[in-house]
Formats: sequence, C-alpha cells, structure tokens
Amino acid sequence: MAGRVLAQIRRDRRTLAMLFAMPAVVMLIFGFALGGQVSNVPIVVDNQDAGYGASPGTTLNVGSHILSSLQTDSAVSVTTGSFASGKQGVDSGAYFAVVLIPSNFSQVAFKQIQGQNVSAVIQLYIDGTKPSIAATVLGALQGAIQNSSRVKGFSLVQQYAYGGKFSGLDVSLPSVIAFVLTFLVLLISLLTVSRETTSGTLPRLYTTPLTAVERLVGYTLSLLVVGVMMVVVVLAVGIGLFGAVVRGDPLLLFGAAVLYALSQVLLAVFLSNFARNEFQAVQLAPLIALPSMALSGMLVPIFSLPAWIQPISKVIPMYYANQLFEGIMLKGYGVCSMAFDLLVVVTIAVLFLALAMTTVKDRMDA
Amino acid sequence: MIECENLVKEFNEGKLRAVNGLTLNIRKGEIYALIGANGSGKTTTVNMMTGALVPTSGRVSVLGIEMPHGKHLVSGRIGVAPQEYSLYSDLTLEQNASFFAKLYGMDSKRFGRRFGELNDILRLRGREHSLVSNLSGGMKRRASIECALLHEPEVVFFDEATVGIDPVLRAFLWDYFRSLRSNGLTILLTSHVMDEAGKADRIGLLRAGKLVDEGEPNTLMARHNVRSIEDVFLKLSGKELTDA
Repeated sequence: MAGRVLAQIRRDRRTLAMLFAMPAVVMLIFGFALGGQVSNVPIVVDNQDAGYGASPGTTLNVGSHILSSLQTDSAVSVTTGSFASGKQGVDSGAYFAVVLIPSNFSQVAFKQIQGQNVSAVIQLYIDGTKPSIAATVLGALQGAIQNSSRVKGFSLVQQYAYGGKFSGLDVSLPSVIAFVLTFLVLLISLLTVSRETTSGTLPRLYTTPLTAVERLVGYTLSLLVVGVMMVVVVLAVGIGLFGAVVRGDPLLLFGAAVLYALSQVLLAVFLSNFARNEFQAVQLAPLIALPSMALSGMLVPIFSLPAWIQPISKVIPMYYANQLFEGIMLKGYGVCSMAFDLLVVVTIAVLFLALAMTTVKDRMDA
Repeated sequence: MIECENLVKEFNEGKLRAVNGLTLNIRKGEIYALIGANGSGKTTTVNMMTGALVPTSGRVSVLGIEMPHGKHLVSGRIGVAPQEYSLYSDLTLEQNASFFAKLYGMDSKRFGRRFGELNDILRLRGREHSLVSNLSGGMKRRASIECALLHEPEVVFFDEATVGIDPVLRAFLWDYFRSLRSNGLTILLTSHVMDEAGKADRIGLLRAGKLVDEGEPNTLMARHNVRSIEDVFLKLSGKELTDA
C-alpha cells in the first residue's frame, strides 16, 4: 500500500517538484520575513527643546540627545518635522508615531538635577492599531530619554490615532479576514475548476457551442457567489460573534471584501489552467497563501522586513487586502482614503482575468 | 458529411503518431462503425472530427465545414457521447441534461419534450431526479447518449458509447439508431466489440492510426473469406489483439 502511494507520487512530476519546492520556499520566506525583530518603525520627532544654559558658555540640550539616541536605534526610523504635520502623517498611515519634546525639557531636566520638583510633558501621538509596534516605539522612546538624561519626572501624554487603543482581537481580525479569503476562496475555486478536468466533462464541453471565454465567465460568476457567501460568513463571525471593531462603513468593507474575493477567484481560474488534477490544484492554494501571510504585513510589518523583500510585499494582493480591511475596520477610512488600495485590487482582478483569458484552453491539445 | 483526408495526429512532439494518414468519407444518413483495438486511434480521430483536437496535418470536415476552424458553426449541429460517461456525478440526471440542453440553446419547453421522449426511449423514466453517481454503469451510458441526442443533432459521435449496456437494451438502441438514421441522422460510432460493428451500414477497420480496410459488413466478410467481422479484424491485424 505504502509503496503504491509513493509510486503514484513519484509518477506525478509536478507533485514531486512541489513536495520538495513548497516546504523549502515557505521556510525560506518565513525565515527571512520573521527572522528579525520589529525595526525601522517610521516615526516623526519634533524636538522643540531650546536647551538650557546651565553655566556661561555651556548649553544643555537633552532633546537633541534624545533625538540622536532615537536616530541610532534600529527599532525606529526617525524623521524630524513638526508635531502637526507628523500627526497628519500618522493619520494618513505614512508614519506610525510622532513625538513632541517640549521647549522647556532641558530646563526641567536641569532643575530636577538641582532637586526642584518640576515636571516636563512629552507628547506622543501613536497609531494604536498595532499594539506590538506601539510597545516597540514606546520602549525606544523611554530608552532614549533614560540614556540622554536623568529626567525622571516627565509625563508622557499618549494620544492614540484612529480613536483609541484596540484589543489584540480587533487588530488581528482585518488580516485574518484577508487570509481566510485568500486561502479558502483560492482553495475552493481551484478544486471546483480542476474537478471539471478530472471528472472527464471538460473534453465533452470542448465539443459543445460553449466557448472558452463563456466557460471562464461561468466559473467566475459561480465562484464569485461562493466567494460572497464566504465573505458574509467571515464578516458575520468576525463582527457578530467576536465583536470586531468596524469604524468605517460596513458596506464599504463588504464591497472591498467581495472585490478581493473576486480577484482570488480569477487567480484560481488562471492557475487552474496549469493543474492537471485536484491534487495539484490543492497544492497551489498554500503555495500562494502561506507566502502571502508572511509577506503581506499580517505577521510582521512591512517596514521591518529586509529591504530586498519589501518590494515583493507590494506585489502581493493580500497586502492590499490587509490595507483595505485595516483601513476601513480600524481607521475608519472611507472610499477616498482607500481609493488607491481599491484601485490596486481592481487592477489585480483585471490582470488575473486577462491572464486567465489568454491561458484558458478551448481544446484538449491547446 | 464527414470527410478526412490524410489526417495525422502526433503527440509528445512527434514521438507518438496516434492517427497516421487517415482518409475516409462518411455519407449523410449512414451508420459508420470505426473499429480497432485499444490505442488504434479511434478516439483521437473522433476528437479531431469534433474539434476537441487539432490535426497535426491533413484535413477533416464535418457537415461540409472544415474543422477545427469551423467548430463554432458545427458544434451546435453535432452530438457527442464520449468514451467516458462525461457527466456531472453530483448532479441529477435532469440537471445534467438541462445543463447540456442550455449549452445548445434549447428553451425549457423544447427541453421538456425531448427529455421526456428520450427518457422513454432510453428507459430512464423514473430516474430523472437520481444523482448520476447513484445510477448503474449502463444507466450512466444511456444518460450520456441522452445528453448527446437532446438537441436533435445532424451528426452524432458515439465513442465506445454502447459498451457496458446489456444485450437487450443494446439491440433496442440499435433499432433506435436505425430509426434516427432513417430520419437523416448520420452516426459515427467507435467500438472494439466486433459483433456490434456488424450492425453498422459500413465499417472502417483502424490499426495503428491507419484505415486498413473499409466496406459494408457482408462485403468485408466476403472479401476476406471469413464468417464474422471479428475474423476480418483478426485477419487484418495479424491476430494482434494487444494495443497497436
């Protein structure tokens, strides 16, 4: 029995290739993607510290030391700028946090050294949609302050962007929804289309008036219905059962999810042209879904990935699904703010449709 | 009605020549049996005639239209019952038939009439709502034939389509085929069951992708001085019953 099964696997060269290639590729991707710690978190520092002349000819500027310390910390990637523009940058998703060091910070530091009971206020405006990254930024900032001065009596005023702090479940669900749609829509679609080949009905279809494009449209429409049903289930469980936060328009979220599901259906229809049987088709789903999980920002933020991997992330459809779902659910973005990501998903869907149409077979030896 | 001229089909970059210079001419209203051992090129020939395969060289035409270029003009006028059942096993017989009927542009009224007629003829009445996976092998074969005949084609291809049907029903089917022929239907069937081929109007004997002889059953038997089509086949194939 075992010998027979192994002989069958050995006979199917594509399966054999996948058998070795898939674990190697997945391990390499996960190794590179998850190998490091959170790093290069983009933040803005507005150092307004005017310094303090402790004695003639010497000026103490603790704010500059803090800035220098942050600039040498690999956990964050510092840009200097105003607090107001930094806040706008955080709201638009360009930066993760903005820090304001007040103008009297050095003065307060000096007075504290002299034993006076004074306090300074550092303001932090931070993206609360990713608690682990927020903790990294906070740690880097506190470390920089401690390294640069003996200031202990400062208060850190934190303000969270997008309306507040989110629970771990809240911040996970957008990417979980993206992953579920990526994996399951792909898997079900690949299985459904490839079953036509294995059931022997495809050669019969070649003899009927049905054109290859009509067949492709038929697959796409039916699988889109399946995709929409999956979207409904995923959102119903996520929002209804787990109470996932949806700050934006639920209809926009539904539309974006359906659009993304369509792109995955079209990807499956395209890929199914290369699968000779259901076994080969099934293997394609994890081959797409697992690297998507590692490189789309689901597990590790894109800016923490090695520099050479980051451009790859931008061509992974699930990256844009993450952006869309996170933007609508957590940040409350509307159509205008999400226009770019929506346009990219539409472009991806059109690209997969074009690829599917150019590779779809209209006869047995095509 | 169906013409082939020096038809060649190669696979594996020319390493396998499945059909090797086949020339034949099937007339309108004729039942033509293409017989040969497994692997002799029967199914490949049918696939080229129906436009499912493109010939490597030579030409093939159906209803006077060159294939596969004219496939869009021909496909609605032919019916095909492939060697495999080629039905959706997780759908009912009616759902299968309805699907194929829609592909051929049949409206529901015409479908209902034809489906009822064919269920009676093919003895499938009462099984309309059975899943195809629950039908017996013979019923699946008849269901496949039913789907090929629904849209009242002018030419029908039965690729080993009567294999697995019990002798009583097979005799009945042959009577039905003859009645279809008398209405102008042209039938090409392939078979490796020689006694069945003897019921055709004409027989073409295929060996290694080549037509080794052709004619009416009695003429063939007389020409080779034997008493059965099987003997004709054995004589021509050098008693090689293995795959060509």
